[in-house]
Amino acid sequence: MIRHLAGKLGGALVSLLFVVALGFVLFRVIPGDPVVAMTRGRPVTGDQLAELRVRLGVDKPLPEQFVDYLTAVLRGDLGTSHVYNRPVAELIGERLWPTVLLVGTSTVLAVALGLWLGIRGAWRRGSRSDRISTGLALAQWAMPTFWLGMLLSLATGNLFPSGGMRYPDTPPDFLSQALDVAHHMVLPCLTLIAVVYAQYLLVMRSSLLEEMHADYLTTARAKGLRDDLVRRRHAVPNALLPTVTLVFLHLGLVVSGAITVETVFSWPGLGLLTYEALTGPDLPLLQGTFVLLSGAVISMNVFADLLYRVLDPRVRAS
Amino acid sequence: MNLLELRDLSVHYRGARGEVTAVRSVSLGLEAGETLGLAGESGCGKSTVAMSVLRLLPRDARVEGQVLLDGEDVRGMSWGRLRAVRWAAASVVFQGAMHALNPVHRVGEQIAEPMRLHGVTGSASSSSVSSSVSALLDQVELPARTARAYPHELSGGQKQRVMIAMALACEPRLVIADEPTTALDVVVQAQVLDLLKRLVSERDIGLVMISHDLSVLASTCDRLAVMQHGQIVEEGPARQVIAAPTHPHTQTLAAAFPTVGDPASRHVTASDTSTGPVLLRAEGVRVDYGTTTAVAGVDLEVRAGEIVALVGQSGSGKTTLARTLLGLQRPTAGRVLFEGAELPRSASGLRAYRRQVQLVLQDPTSALNPRHSVYEAVAEGLRIHRIAGDEPTQVAEALSHAELRPPERFFPSLPHELSGGQRQRVVIAGALALGPRLLIADEPVASLDASVRGEILALLLRLRRELDLAALVITHDLGLAWTIADRVAVMYQGELVEQGTVEQVLLAPRHDYTRTLLAAVPQHQGSTRPDQLSVELRLPPHRLLG
Repeated sequence: MIRHLAGKLGGALVSLLFVVALGFVLFRVIPGDPVVAMTRGRPVTGDQLAELRVRLGVDKPLPEQFVDYLTAVLRGDLGTSHVYNRPVAELIGERLWPTVLLVGTSTVLAVALGLWLGIRGAWRRGSRSDRISTGLALAQWAMPTFWLGMLLSLATGNLFPSGGMRYPDTPPDFLSQALDVAHHMVLPCLTLIAVVYAQYLLVMRSSLLEEMHADYLTTARAKGLRDDLVRRRHAVPNALLPTVTLVFLHLGLVVSGAITVETVFSWPGLGLLTYEALTGPDLPLLQGTFVLLSGAVISMNVFADLLYRVLDPRVRAS
Repeated sequence: MNLLELRDLSVHYRGARGEVTAVRSVSLGLEAGETLGLAGESGCGKSTVAMSVLRLLPRDARVEGQVLLDGEDVRGMSWGRLRAVRWAAASVVFQGAMHALNPVHRVGEQIAEPMRLHGVTGSASSSSVSSSVSALLDQVELPARTARAYPHELSGGQKQRVMIAMALACEPRLVIADEPTTALDVVVQAQVLDLLKRLVSERDIGLVMISHDLSVLASTCDRLAVMQHGQIVEEGPARQVIAAPTHPHTQTLAAAFPTVGDPASRHVTASDTSTGPVLLRAEGVRVDYGTTTAVAGVDLEVRAGEIVALVGQSGSGKTTLARTLLGLQRPTAGRVLFEGAELPRSASGLRAYRRQVQLVLQDPTSALNPRHSVYEAVAEGLRIHRIAGDEPTQVAEALSHAELRPPERFFPSLPHELSGGQRQRVVIAGALALGPRLLIADEPVASLDASVRGEILALLLRLRRELDLAALVITHDLGLAWTIADRVAVMYQGELVEQGTVEQVLLAPRHDYTRTLLAAVPQHQGSTRPDQLSVELRLPPHRLLG
């Protein structure tokens, strides 16, 4: 067990190192001069540009830049944003919490909704409710996110705020602040759920359909179990296994935020930050978000692996 | 009153192409303490009959007639009453070696589940449940700690014992066993059958046993019913049905499971026996996987035009040996010679070698690509080996050698359109297309229906006669060896413990293990076989458990 854990963690560390290196190279080959981006719209001389290059360290040869970058990352320093002129780590830290709140909440709700509808659909396969719920989920999945977001805010009128995270004039006590944030969160959250729950529904539905013909379910029925006990105790735990991997992969993506939704509803999260960094382009900031996102996906993968061993005794054996 | 009575039972399945009738007016009766065997090939409706007793048929089934369990019609029961009857009055032992147990629950929980559900006396406290689980496991000769195991940690035989323990959990008066030993080895099968027989007589329960293997039923059942196309074609006392079958289908079924020692079922005559040059020779072949030894020093010869049977239980190393002979596995020590030359090690050399030696696998359904037509399946080997000549002619020739005539008619067919026997013929044709000298066939008829087995075996014999094709047939079935082989090699724990002509080995076995194997074969009548009784099982303890 310890050996298995050590192996998994070692593998994760190696992939993380690769990601850091890849991020560095990737953002050096995309077009766009960071110095030009920083000084856009301001009159500058060639000397000033050269001085700026020296200050940012982009005048040095690439290998040297990479070593500087790597040692800095290992110290926890993700560099300084060119556009904001502030440490990247600080910026990310600021934006992390709103994103986790929004995307985390909507992912949990979407998973719950998707699994529930998926189980119902598979158990009553081909029934009218199965056809309607699967069709509806697919239609929503196919919709462009920004369009659905705008449609929702148009349709609900003034019921919910359609931008930002809180009003400036809310009293500072915890309850009013929380209610205010929740109020702002309704529309982006709904949009995200509507767009993503279909994949949980489809995976759950098809893996349960596969289990439905399993012989051990006939055994359970022959034992005299009620239909819903057959489903709850025998079919669903087995069918959930493939879904676990999917859910955890998506939980890893939570920190990347939802670029479209955060932009449409100007939600001050990491998605919006990434969008802003891209328009720069703000290289240190992009690299920072890239490393964070990959780190989250990799660690969630490791977590899913370990959870799988707890859930499925067959995996434990091999 | 009969424990179970079926009156005019018919079952129809509604499908896309209209209704299909699986069972046609079947009437059967069973008294307490009696055992009834239900025999038939796949698709004859025997499992449908079993499932209809507890109303376990799928939704698209339409049932007519009466199913009386202790005089009460199962079809008229409310759902609540039906749930109360299930498992408490009648339970089922499924063909469960692999799939009938839930893979993520401990087996102890699965045995305890129906006890809690039906409120078996004393099941209120968890300690008494676990002690009854231990008692049940003890009855099926498993240690109490088995309760903590998951299904995948048990062998096939152990799982089947767990299934039986589970079936007895609520002390039902009727047990239905659906192919309870089909996936098991002969030795393990004999143990499980003995166990079932003992439990039936101790507890005075009625047993309905379903199998495609008449010899299994003959050794366990008092009465036998034979089904074909959803109907019962013959019924009577087991001895009588097997000794003097009146219906042609029963005769076919009985002939498919030959009696070792019966000259009528031996299809090889002395004149067939080859004295040709040695084709394939293994010298001191040894294969280790890490610290375990799968094959421990084997010497084996196959002559041109000779059929050799390699016999052994699962886990004896016979498949590893076959892989080594094919060059798919490199031996740790020893060598394999083909026509006196050691097997090549280069990829191209091995490819040339495999033209000479072809493999036929056990299950033709999974050996054929479901999306490739028969033509594609047979022509693939020709293309891989870049064999010159007119491809359609060669494919047609291979198919007609495998008795698929006229071959052109089979060209566009896909595997699912063919019967099991035809599929195995396609696999054999694919091997024949390359003009090999030797076939290595791994359980070539184990997954086929009784009536088809004979045909495939006759095909192997005819190919030997006409094409001088040698074969190494790997099997656990001694009857198969008796039917077609010239020589038999018995494998046990990685070693060949006995080797010789079929008559020597099967009629006068010298090694204890061969005698054990022979004793485990279910017998249907007073045959001429020696040493039928009282052979000590000298197997290691874990095998006995299995």
